[in-house]
Amino acid sequence: MIPQPFDYYAPATLREALAMIASGEHKILAGGMSLVPLMKLRLALPEHVVDLGRIPELNYIAESGGVLRIGAMSTHHDIESSAAVRAHCPLLAEAAGHIGDAQVRNMGTIGGSIAHADPSADYPAALLALETKIRIVSANSDRTIDAAEFFVDAFTTALEPGEIVLELQAPVEDQGEGYCYEKVPHPASGFAVVGVAVRVKKAGGKIAMARIGITGMGPRPFRDSMAEKMLESGTEIGQATQSIGQGEEANSDLYASGDYRRHLARVHAARALRTALTRAS
Amino acid sequence: MATTVSKPDLLVGKSIRRREDPRLLTGTAIYLDDIKMPGMHHACIVRSPHGAARIKSINTKPALDRPGVAAVFTGADIASLGAVPCAASLPGLRVPHHHLLAQDRVYYQGHPVAVVVATDRYLAADAADAVEVEYEPLPAVTDPEKAIAAGAPAVHPEWADNIAFTFHQEGGDTAQAFRDAEVIVKQRITSQRLIPVALETRGVVADWRPGEKSLTLFSSTQIPHLMRSLVAGILGMPENLLRVITPEVGGGFGSKLNVYAEEALMAFIAKRINKPVKWVESRRENFQATIHGRGHVDYFELAAKRDGTMLGLKLKLIADLGAYHQLLTPAIPTLSVLMMPGLYRFKNVTADIVGVFTNCVPTDAYRGAGRPEATHGIERMVDMLARELNMDPVELRLKNFVGNDEFPFPTATGLSYDSGNYAAPLKQALAQAGYPELRTEQAQARKEGRLMGIGIATYGEICALGPSAALPAGGWESATVKIEPSGKVTVMTGASPHGQGEETTFAQMAADALGVGIDDVLVVHGDTAVVQYGIGTFGSRGTAVGGAALFYALEELKAKVRKFGAMMLDTDSVTLSGGACVDEKTGKSISFAEVAAAAYHAKKLPPNTEPGLVSTHFWEPPNFTFPFGAHLVVTEVDRETGNIEIKRYIAVDDCGKIINPLLVAGQVHGGVAQGLGQALWEQAVYDDTGQLLTGELTDYAIPKAHFMPWIESSHTCTPSPVNPMGVKGVGEAGTIGCSPAVVNSVVDALAPLGVRHIDMPLTPEKIWKMIAQGGQA
Amino acid sequence: MKLTGSYTVPGPRERAYALLQDPAVLAQCMPGCEGLDRIGENEYAMRMKMTLASISGRFEGKVRISDANPPESFRLMVEGSGKIGFVKGDGLLTLSPAHGGTSVRFEGDVQVGGTIANVGQRLVETTARMLIKRFFDKLAAAASVLRATESAAD
Repeated sequence: MIPQPFDYYAPATLREALAMIASGEHKILAGGMSLVPLMKLRLALPEHVVDLGRIPELNYIAESGGVLRIGAMSTHHDIESSAAVRAHCPLLAEAAGHIGDAQVRNMGTIGGSIAHADPSADYPAALLALETKIRIVSANSDRTIDAAEFFVDAFTTALEPGEIVLELQAPVEDQGEGYCYEKVPHPASGFAVVGVAVRVKKAGGKIAMARIGITGMGPRPFRDSMAEKMLESGTEIGQATQSIGQGEEANSDLYASGDYRRHLARVHAARALRTALTRAS
Repeated sequence: MATTVSKPDLLVGKSIRRREDPRLLTGTAIYLDDIKMPGMHHACIVRSPHGAARIKSINTKPALDRPGVAAVFTGADIASLGAVPCAASLPGLRVPHHHLLAQDRVYYQGHPVAVVVATDRYLAADAADAVEVEYEPLPAVTDPEKAIAAGAPAVHPEWADNIAFTFHQEGGDTAQAFRDAEVIVKQRITSQRLIPVALETRGVVADWRPGEKSLTLFSSTQIPHLMRSLVAGILGMPENLLRVITPEVGGGFGSKLNVYAEEALMAFIAKRINKPVKWVESRRENFQATIHGRGHVDYFELAAKRDGTMLGLKLKLIADLGAYHQLLTPAIPTLSVLMMPGLYRFKNVTADIVGVFTNCVPTDAYRGAGRPEATHGIERMVDMLARELNMDPVELRLKNFVGNDEFPFPTATGLSYDSGNYAAPLKQALAQAGYPELRTEQAQARKEGRLMGIGIATYGEICALGPSAALPAGGWESATVKIEPSGKVTVMTGASPHGQGEETTFAQMAADALGVGIDDVLVVHGDTAVVQYGIGTFGSRGTAVGGAALFYALEELKAKVRKFGAMMLDTDSVTLSGGACVDEKTGKSISFAEVAAAAYHAKKLPPNTEPGLVSTHFWEPPNFTFPFGAHLVVTEVDRETGNIEIKRYIAVDDCGKIINPLLVAGQVHGGVAQGLGQALWEQAVYDDTGQLLTGELTDYAIPKAHFMPWIESSHTCTPSPVNPMGVKGVGEAGTIGCSPAVVNSVVDALAPLGVRHIDMPLTPEKIWKMIAQGGQA
Repeated sequence: MKLTGSYTVPGPRERAYALLQDPAVLAQCMPGCEGLDRIGENEYAMRMKMTLASISGRFEGKVRISDANPPESFRLMVEGSGKIGFVKGDGLLTLSPAHGGTSVRFEGDVQVGGTIANVGQRLVETTARMLIKRFFDKLAAAASVLRATESAAD
């Protein structure tokens, strides 16, 4: 449980950090809740580690113009407890509260988490349901993409070498929206065997808008637009969630088979939707 | 005028807070890894990544060339040393020579192959990575039933059938019982392999003093004295030149009731490099190289009359021993056989054990050690019989319990149950639960389509291990009590507590006996140079055997103190109270300190009086003790997901007299947590090639605080006649009572679907599949 | 761990088969492969640098092709070992004509050992599937490039 020797850099500014990582040879430490355990197991053997933890300009949460902006180095605890997140994107705060344990939430960051793209991470489900955009920068580029484009495969994102996540931009949820994050945690790791994030809007006793993001079930998180459309066109929840995950690959491990995960995604989507509806006004 | 001396409140029986806790909770306790010595080196062990392989070559040069590396040792260096010891003996037992480091083959994943020693822990780890070992992987077998099937790869080439031993035990006439039976229930029941996860992993520091030719070994162990004798034997050094010290031990659960290769290796290395050396086990090593527990496949058959009278029990027990025998490996399944009759009046039992070698780390004692497996089996069988007979499982148990007037009760397995009132805890649990109302509620739930279960398990255990005849290295325990010249009291116990709280309970006993305050008593343990000798703490023996030794040592010391006190007060007899010797007739008293000073200064002793105030007692227990109890668990199964919710957990345990209720509650809670771990979450999984797939806490699910139900814990009290305090032991009770109660509850919940048995752990997917398939596994 | 799946590769079966026998193509398509050196009949020494998120490890091993039954099927055996563990995959690849090219179906057994097996259970299967998918994606790309150059040559 001892890592190999490595060089450690702690830049103080974003500019400095981006210059350091431009070559793409560096491993980025953004909280270290995934990287450090892998290094201790000697599964990750980086020679150069650049710690973004001392760059104040990456740690902020602010709302402006209907968009909630979250700096990449905001910790899960920051997000879980932020008044702005709770007011404008309560779904994200709820998902953050389900991550790991208190120590992990105090150290781990949203930028680090999504860049790692663990297929069982909690955030992606919420980010997809919230239709979040992700701003990515490098020493000589600056682009903003949809969360749906960001998550490519297990541990694989749209980040190119030299790029980092700068900011997450979530449209502020409308007043009266209902939301819910339902999670089946693995009893050992606490990772999501399946996690379902939903948002709903009611109009005239019906579902006017539904968003469903699912994590843990397959190699990458996904939004189930078919189920969303069915719900929006009046299909009852039980029936609309029956097709969730159809056509998506499902993960299997010692604890849960792919079939079971798919089943859990359906059951918990229905439960999350019911809770969200009771929260919607 | 008669003087009444007010008796101070006795401490025994009171919930005194643990005196150990402040230092543990403030981080000021000294654990093994806190030990630092000048010039201390660090060892890192290179372990086999294969379950079975031939070692073709080992190249240590790249490691030796690295900075800070002092030495690298391989199997060739230790080939002439003794083997890792197995103390258990059974007729015909095959004992593979368990070298400290692998020779030409490795037999399980984690098998130590080489040790790298460097000036710093990091450099040692880097250098260990540089050792080049060329393996030729061999076919492996990790499932005990597959291992004894024809054509299985041989774990040890010399024993093609993989059978380490067979063991037969029979009492009464089982064949006749089965001929007389009107109903026979049969079931294959597994107790899966579990991984003991002590908060503190194992660790060793060895310090060689060349001038004295002596060696001090610090080890996180449950058995310092046995370790001293056994490690001295491995190294071929005089026992009295080896000193074993256990610093604070952060849990063991049986996994530290052992002597491992690492203790002898570090001792050997310290001597070779002439420097202190430390090795601390990583969590991965804990999973791969510390003993596992359980690992049973049990075939039970229960014969009964239609009226519920249980006649006979048969058991074929296939025990997964792993690749080698550790200290007690082959003995553990024999404990299952001893306890298989449970609390019932069986006259006829037959058991056959097949001990099987597999390419896995050895199994050995883990909290309960053989008894949880037996209890799980019999309590599942009784529930199955109840279902078969359409009888309430409570009624069936009550009908077959050994009666209160039958003690001491001779069992068909050759034991003598000391004392009991087996119906009492069961009835108390039922009353507490509101059993009839629960059944009504269950009937209503079933109408609504909800899966609610009520599970009961009663258990008996064999504790206070044990009479010396039953244990390989003696089953007694020792205590020394000293009154220091200043009047302070020091207790030295051979039981080596590692979380059980004897620093508190033994101080309660000493304070009561000597009439001093608890703060005047110090309890010392875990240092072979200080403590006379001892066996250790395991098998729920700390208080029931170690406490009894203390009891008698205190009696002897009291007599000495009284003698001195009476002499000084010039009276016939005195009582000990309030830190003083009191002459009840005159009311005159003399303080302990004064008595002690007189005893040590020895200025005015009559002739033939031994100075000093010290007494030592080695106590041999005449029998085991047999605690018992009843656990009742209410569950509800989520029909959609298979998830199990524990709605109520009622534990009524009878551990005889209780010295400290707070500590007993702690033992019950911890025991239940580990029982729930087995019932619901934990499972060591090896693949067919010998890879441990649950190699870390990311996949191996131990119970966490927030998984725990509220435990409604209470007691009945049936004193044991075996020891003078009437205690029975409680360290393992929770674990033993828990798993069958939980599984019986979940099976009861699923009974409407026709489910009859489910093997542990009861993972949601397993339950979901059963529900989805209408009760078929 | 049993793995099965099928992927479509552009072009006729004969060409897909030939591509799959070509060490240069295999080296190009196997994720992280840094080179294949012929060491015998249909047998190659392999060097590989696997990078997956933060995990990285070097593997050395062998690739062997056997039971060749052109253009229908063959067995592909890949084994490698490194500090982080070892992997052995053995699979039957069956090629059949399909809409838009050739369908390659594989049916295999993957064994993983060492650290990756001990601590990576949660992700081993997902990762194995992903790597196989990457292989076929690259193979499909290679086949497309080949088809493009062929048509250019026509």
